[in-house]
Amino acid sequence: MSSLLILKTRICLKYISPLFNPSTAGFTPLNNVISKLSVSSRLLCTKGGSRHAGNNRKEDRQREFNIRERLPFPKSVFAAGTAKRTAEYQKKRAEEEPNFPRKNKRVEPPDHPLTASEWKSLKLISPNPDRFDVRMMSSMLADGTDINVAKSLLAYVAMDTGTLSYELLLRYLTLCVGSGHHSEVFDMYDIMRSRFRTLDTGASSLFIKGFSRTERWKEALTILENIKRAITPSPRNYGDTIAGAVLHGDGDTAWALYAELMEKGLIPNQETWQALFQCGLSHQGHEDGLQSILLHMRDNQIYPEETLAKDIKAWFESLPEQKWIGSWSPVDPRGVCRSCQAELESIQLSREEYAQLKDRVMGDVIQGRDIFNKTTPEELESFKNFVKRKPAFDVVIDGLNVANIGIKGNQSQTLLEVVSELERQGLVILVLGRKHMQRPSRSWDRHDMSLVQQKAHCFFTDNISEDDPFLLYATLHSGNHCNFVSRDLMRDHKACLPDGATRRLFFKWQRGHQLVLSSYTPGKRVRFQRILSYDTIVQTNGGSWHIPYDENGAERCTYEVPQKWLCLTKAK
Amino acid sequence: KDVPLPQSKADQTEEKLDLDIWKSVMRFQVPAAEEEEKLGGEEGGAAPSGPGGGVAGQEEVSPLEATRELVVMWRQAGKLVPETMTDEELGILAELQTKSSKKKYLKYLAIKEGHKKSHKQKQEKRKAERSERFLEDDRIRPDGLRGEEGELRNTFLLQFWGRSLDKLLGWRSAQAMVFGQPLVFDMSYEQQMTRREVENTVSQLMEVEGWNRRASEPFHLHFCNLQPDGGYRKELVKRYGAEAWQRLLITSTEQRHVDLFPRDDLVYLTADSPNVLRTFDNSKVYIVGSMVDRSIQSGLSLANAKRLKLNTARLPLDDFLQWETGAKNLTLDQMIRILLTLKETGRWEEALEYVPKRKHDGFYQEKPQQD
Repeated sequence: MSSLLILKTRICLKYISPLFNPSTAGFTPLNNVISKLSVSSRLLCTKGGSRHAGNNRKEDRQREFNIRERLPFPKSVFAAGTAKRTAEYQKKRAEEEPNFPRKNKRVEPPDHPLTASEWKSLKLISPNPDRFDVRMMSSMLADGTDINVAKSLLAYVAMDTGTLSYELLLRYLTLCVGSGHHSEVFDMYDIMRSRFRTLDTGASSLFIKGFSRTERWKEALTILENIKRAITPSPRNYGDTIAGAVLHGDGDTAWALYAELMEKGLIPNQETWQALFQCGLSHQGHEDGLQSILLHMRDNQIYPEETLAKDIKAWFESLPEQKWIGSWSPVDPRGVCRSCQAELESIQLSREEYAQLKDRVMGDVIQGRDIFNKTTPEELESFKNFVKRKPAFDVVIDGLNVANIGIKGNQSQTLLEVVSELERQGLVILVLGRKHMQRPSRSWDRHDMSLVQQKAHCFFTDNISEDDPFLLYATLHSGNHCNFVSRDLMRDHKACLPDGATRRLFFKWQRGHQLVLSSYTPGKRVRFQRILSYDTIVQTNGGSWHIPYDENGAERCTYEVPQKWLCLTKAK
Repeated sequence: KDVPLPQSKADQTEEKLDLDIWKSVMRFQVPAAEEEEKLGGEEGGAAPSGPGGGVAGQEEVSPLEATRELVVMWRQAGKLVPETMTDEELGILAELQTKSSKKKYLKYLAIKEGHKKSHKQKQEKRKAERSERFLEDDRIRPDGLRGEEGELRNTFLLQFWGRSLDKLLGWRSAQAMVFGQPLVFDMSYEQQMTRREVENTVSQLMEVEGWNRRASEPFHLHFCNLQPDGGYRKELVKRYGAEAWQRLLITSTEQRHVDLFPRDDLVYLTADSPNVLRTFDNSKVYIVGSMVDRSIQSGLSLANAKRLKLNTARLPLDDFLQWETGAKNLTLDQMIRILLTLKETGRWEEALEYVPKRKHDGFYQEKPQQD
């Protein structure tokens, strides 16, 4: 009875307390006092922090400004490595922050096999004996310790606890596969198959990798089948199996696996292709298959890495009765291969491609799922009419983007200079902007803007509409000769496109039609980066192949293209 | 375990031991699969091919079973996957297309399981503590009287039960239904959300209703565009319970907000709006889009407002807070607490206390100029 009473009083107290809660009515005076107090105290205590943060912000702006002021690289923004260089440049400029070393908590593996008692004492002195075995094995993996040391650890754990955990075995297996101890891998396979009902994807992948290098490579196929029951195998699983088949001279199996891989819509690794080309090198046949790989690269705008390019070259040169000669050649800026003097494919889109791209940009980028996202139907209609009324443009300028290249507060002048320069070349210009640019202000001078409007056609979108889609549409609408001026890489608009093929089309068109202002200092002449006239893509005309490739160790962003080429020609 | 333990320990002097001894240890052991079956595996019917069929019996395993086994092995491999899964969850898992989506879902389940487990543990601990305390009390005063606390006293109030509070708040909400300022939650984003996002939104809406109910001057909540057979409503009814949902003192309707209120009074609150909300207007009807966006679909609610030609506004976050990280869109419960505070006091500093602290670095010192 008494315990019940206590319970009740407790409940009662609990429910009275909301009455004292400042948020309820009736206690408003008190509430006000409390809130005032809390606000003022908060203001007091944020004082220091806020000033600090304000300073930071200023520095940031300063830094950004410096970068803008001297823009470094004359090469095309689409050239491989530009983004990396820019990043490094900015990193160098950024102030160096002190690097606090993280506390190193990993255990040091010993350099020779230990006995059980030695392991035991090692475990005792380790700061964190929890999961000692697994952590020790991980650090062995990281250090690439000798396999015997790992074995002695296993022996100790097995004697100590009477069993070994799956996790520990998995790490040991990684060590074995990594260092190529094949007999050990076989033993592990037997043990793990008998001990566990199935294997997880990690162990399966390791076994596939381990087996495919040995004469028991056919078992890798069984393991691959087992993975398929629950999950799609990774491209690497296929790649390892294919490499195994190739290594043991079974080209047919390799190609069957490759067909399956492609059918599943997976993206093969470069190593897989390398294996297949090596297979073609030692066994004749499958020429169509290898050519289809090259065409696949072409269609998907994939570029081989240098090692693969070497294999491709070797394969071509090994073909009997058609004497191929391969050479590593640079390409002339005009689009001529330096070694065979052949002209490379033009960057211009074909008529159908152009029409398709135009449709897609209209449908997916501007309209999208909801036209109100980027604009309004009225605005789109008025823009369409505007474009129809005007003659075809030669160049379309992204007004805001161009204006912001210059010094802050001087935007209209920057825009005017760029427009004047293009006008001097006798081009029909369209300037796209937003309505707020027409309202005179410190950065948008009325006089400048009226001059711009004299020299060029202008269209101003609503302040909350996006101007880039209009820019794309106007440029596409004007025809193949029309270029646009912007530093924007248009990645977000590219992402609106529904499939990879259209995106690649967009990218190709963008590389051929985007003018990028290289650097701008007020008063100096405005210069643009050169537009390349040729397309960087795997290409052939029957008698020759030109294959762009990525250099070893060089990094390339998605919006950049390689600069090196492999030229393959048939000797007469 | 039947392991040859003793002999290796015996001669520790010439301990250049057999490096492969663990292999024999492992080989001698009963396969884990059989062990499991002996324990009376729950899927006894699935593997009738008998023990030792680890390899042989696998050919006819259904994809669902294969998925379950994979999850078990992933768990053994130390991946973040749940210990137990229901058949429904397993079905969802098997339907997921990519490996990464499977892993993501498993991680979500595992974390959920962990929360559940720790909650249960805490509960048990508390229970144990409580019973211990009572025992203690009993030991001190075996006669059953528990000091002042338990004595019947002369008291001003009868016990203030939760029921009484509910009644009070209910009256207030009813009053708000008649006289209160409307606040609209626009439920038209179901198509744009995944299942998880709808569930999250409903959780937030429940908090919204809770905070509103406890306010001294609640809003009159409107759930507009709520389709009677949509997933939204289904989830709401499921979470509230059919009866509680019926008794809820809010207006839920499938009508659009533009049909219920004069268009000039409506203000759509969206973080993408170009206009800043300077003052809270008691004569306006504010609309909050009830949507959780875990992917990137920017500008959805602004597009909606543009379509209906509504006024839009965003909170003056940048004017008052030194924004650090995170998106400017806030959760629905944060929104209602901000709006409730504004309604009550009209002070932004106080209202914006509900913006998560991790997102900003305090308030600006000087007040922004009023215009």
